[in-house]
Amino acid sequence: MQGRRAPVPTAITIAALLFLFVPLAIVVLFSFNSTGSLTFPFAGFSTRWYHQIIESVAFRDAVVNSAFVGAVVALSTLVLGTLAAYGLTRASTRLRTPIAVLLFLPLTLPGLFLGLSLLVLFSRVEVNLSLGTVMIAHMVYVLPYYLLIAVAALQRLDPALEEAGADLGANAWLVFRRVTLPQVWPVLLAAALLAFALSFDEFIITFFVIGPDSTLPLFIFSTLRRTVDPSVNAISSLLLVITLALFAIAFVLTLRGSRTSGLSIETEPIGSAAR
Amino acid sequence: MSGPSAGPRVRLRDVAKRFGDVSALEDVTLDIDDGEFVTLLGPSGCGKTTLLRIVAGFERPSAGQVLLGGHDVTKVPPHRRPVNMVFQRPTLFPHLDVAANVAFGPRIDGLSKTEIGQRVDEALALVRLDGFQPRRSHELSGGQMQRVALARAIVNRPQVLLLDEPLSALDLKIRLEMEVELRRLHREIGGTFIYVTHDQREALALSDRVVVFNEGRIEQIGTPNEVYRRPASPFVARFVGDANVIPVDVEPADDGAAEVTVGGHRFRTPASDVSGPAWLVLRPEVVGVSAPSDDRALRGVVRDLSFRGTGHSYRVAVEGLGDPVKAEVSGGSVIDLGFTVDLTWDPGACRVLPRDPGED
Amino acid sequence: MASLAEATTRTEAAERRRVRPLIATLPAVAWLLAFFATPLVIFAVYSLLTNELYAVGTPFTLDAYRDALTSTLNRTLARNSLEVGLSTAAVTVMAGLPIAYWLRFVARRSRIAVLFLIAASMFASYLVRIYAWRTVLGSRGLVNSALDRAGLIDQPLGFLLYSRFAVIVALVHIFLPYVVLVLYAGMGPLGEGLLEAAQDLGAKSSLLWRRVIIPIMAAPAFSAFVFVFILSAADYVTPQFLGGKDGVTLGVQIQQNFVGVGNWPLASATSFLMLLAFVAVFAVGSFILRRLKLNDIRLSS
Repeated sequence: MQGRRAPVPTAITIAALLFLFVPLAIVVLFSFNSTGSLTFPFAGFSTRWYHQIIESVAFRDAVVNSAFVGAVVALSTLVLGTLAAYGLTRASTRLRTPIAVLLFLPLTLPGLFLGLSLLVLFSRVEVNLSLGTVMIAHMVYVLPYYLLIAVAALQRLDPALEEAGADLGANAWLVFRRVTLPQVWPVLLAAALLAFALSFDEFIITFFVIGPDSTLPLFIFSTLRRTVDPSVNAISSLLLVITLALFAIAFVLTLRGSRTSGLSIETEPIGSAAR
Repeated sequence: MSGPSAGPRVRLRDVAKRFGDVSALEDVTLDIDDGEFVTLLGPSGCGKTTLLRIVAGFERPSAGQVLLGGHDVTKVPPHRRPVNMVFQRPTLFPHLDVAANVAFGPRIDGLSKTEIGQRVDEALALVRLDGFQPRRSHELSGGQMQRVALARAIVNRPQVLLLDEPLSALDLKIRLEMEVELRRLHREIGGTFIYVTHDQREALALSDRVVVFNEGRIEQIGTPNEVYRRPASPFVARFVGDANVIPVDVEPADDGAAEVTVGGHRFRTPASDVSGPAWLVLRPEVVGVSAPSDDRALRGVVRDLSFRGTGHSYRVAVEGLGDPVKAEVSGGSVIDLGFTVDLTWDPGACRVLPRDPGED
Repeated sequence: MASLAEATTRTEAAERRRVRPLIATLPAVAWLLAFFATPLVIFAVYSLLTNELYAVGTPFTLDAYRDALTSTLNRTLARNSLEVGLSTAAVTVMAGLPIAYWLRFVARRSRIAVLFLIAASMFASYLVRIYAWRTVLGSRGLVNSALDRAGLIDQPLGFLLYSRFAVIVALVHIFLPYVVLVLYAGMGPLGEGLLEAAQDLGAKSSLLWRRVIIPIMAAPAFSAFVFVFILSAADYVTPQFLGGKDGVTLGVQIQQNFVGVGNWPLASATSFLMLLAFVAVFAVGSFILRRLKLNDIRLSS
């Protein structure tokens, strides 16, 4: 039921929203501070920090690298993850459980483990650390998140639709292409965007497996490590805007996805809705 | 749709379906002729839908064979069988409009665009939905959606059309209209229809023949009339006609006919070869209810009464009988709750079935 | 013979043994076996080998485990990690429950907007948050400046930054959105009718929470708790920036052992001991839940 009076939960919710957004807002605010000061009061409005970082080659390289890695990771996860989600939801055998466990296990381990063990692997196999090793690591990290969404989306579909497709003459591949995919593609795309965002922002694992090239989070990290450079505000704000924009797109796609597909099942006689 | 061919269109031979030690279907042997409208009738869980899905190819039988048009299709996957199914809930593809939905099968068959367009228009005209081509499923009512599903199935000119309780999700009034549509469609296309339902009224109204299922086995196959008036077993009598099925003992009477004892009184029955323990089958509409007058009539007390529009439905408790006797009386005066009544019937209108002494 | 209707529907799904679709999972499975399972195994084996400065060598030995377990530093750090982990988990779950409740039962038109905001905040970069809190909690940051302006303090509060407190605050900031969404999802079974029925039967607020809401939310809350606990106890970045001397955790130590000191076996041993501790916490919690019969409440199949 909605609309009950509940002052305590309401207060906590408001406090939480402030808690979540005020610190971020301050970073964005101070990115426009004309002096480099990070303390109140706010001096004056200026975009000089943005100019400064945009002119920085290191920054631009880091952004490009992050985007490149993110794109590769998103695409490969889209393929691997969709296939895996299809296999998990369409098979019904006890073999499914161990496979599902393996595929979701990375979620339960802290990035520390993933990062260190991959570093160990790469050193053992004598592979140089690079953006490539970062991509490998990200794909392991991102896959379970993608699977969570893809599996849920595929499970929500009415199985009768796929049976109808088969009944009308479509084999497994055609059913997937002409019946299943047209309905879930917005959600899958949203999940791929999520994969991109997760990869773009990833630091904990990346720290261990990155080579000479930098990604944006690594760039921020090393900037933070040095002195308190006010340009960090600008970089951070840009990063915030990018990832929030990605999220907004993914959100819209998910909403659209649940509208055009038959994802909601009616429970009362359909004739009662006759127009 | 499909021309005359030698032999039945559909043959089922000793089909069984088991899940572990649970048997969903057993000993199902059935022939369905070309152009017949056959209904598989039975309560929920009796296996009728399972059988339909076996014919469609969504289930593999544990034993037995399925032959379509003379070919063994038992192991053939659904997308390669010359049959099409209409599902219980409208399963229109939500991302396609009506025309694209109906064109789905023909497109896979690789027909030319013009041919597809023609067939789609034809099929939609048959279900009386001309002009609905560009609509999307969320713009349609339940009845319209099922008609599109029908069009989508028949556009492929299947050898057999399978219908899995297609009307059960619809309101009563729409259901009755759709029944008329289905009969008309069957007449116009002349195809072989296999229909599944648990609604005996629907089965009797639509079919050329009815197959009554109970717990995975066929209890009776016959025309609606046969199944209704001459049920082969107590189950069929109760399920199809909602008949009174009373355990009795048949004794020969003096003049060669037979008599049974019910509630302490003797009644005549039509001659038959049944003797000894038996079931007396009385359809409610043959039982008359009147004020007490004849001491030899079956007497009881009205325990329930409901108005039916065309008459009244009585449930009368009779001493010595476990279940109340059901009677449907049209028109006439009403006898209220708690009153004592006489129950009478024409001996020729009742039926006697053999009974195992253990059954009761 | 069991009731045919139930048996048919129940076993029909189980019967249809379709193995072939699993082939589609092969690429993902192969990838994870190669780059997840195998590295972990190698890493685990390293914990049993001898330290050779940024390398390992035979013979096999339990030295690393011995060093990890006997080190007093480790004990302090482990305690810190435990405290940070449990505090973060506790705060997020305790704050998350009322927020989820608000979303489910109190919100009207604002529900979608708030959900959007909370989900969006999950996408704020990890490092940016740490940086943001460093700004806010600093001696001339938002909190201290505000308190100073209001005349409530004379000197900036030192404990706000470079302390376990700061680490916990930042971690709560990171994990709260996730917890709220998980708990909100977990409130699915609490349909409108259920609470109304309980109230109709006489349950007032506290009873409602105790007898209905908390038992149903126990399992999702527990899994959220464990998830946050594990990730915050093992975090090594937040403590580095916000922890100061008191806020160093085991994760930092492991990272330094590996990258800084070069003692791989020790880093590995410490990691797996930490993992063992996580598993223990999870096992104990699950056991308690199962004993209280709260582990799997579903209202309809």
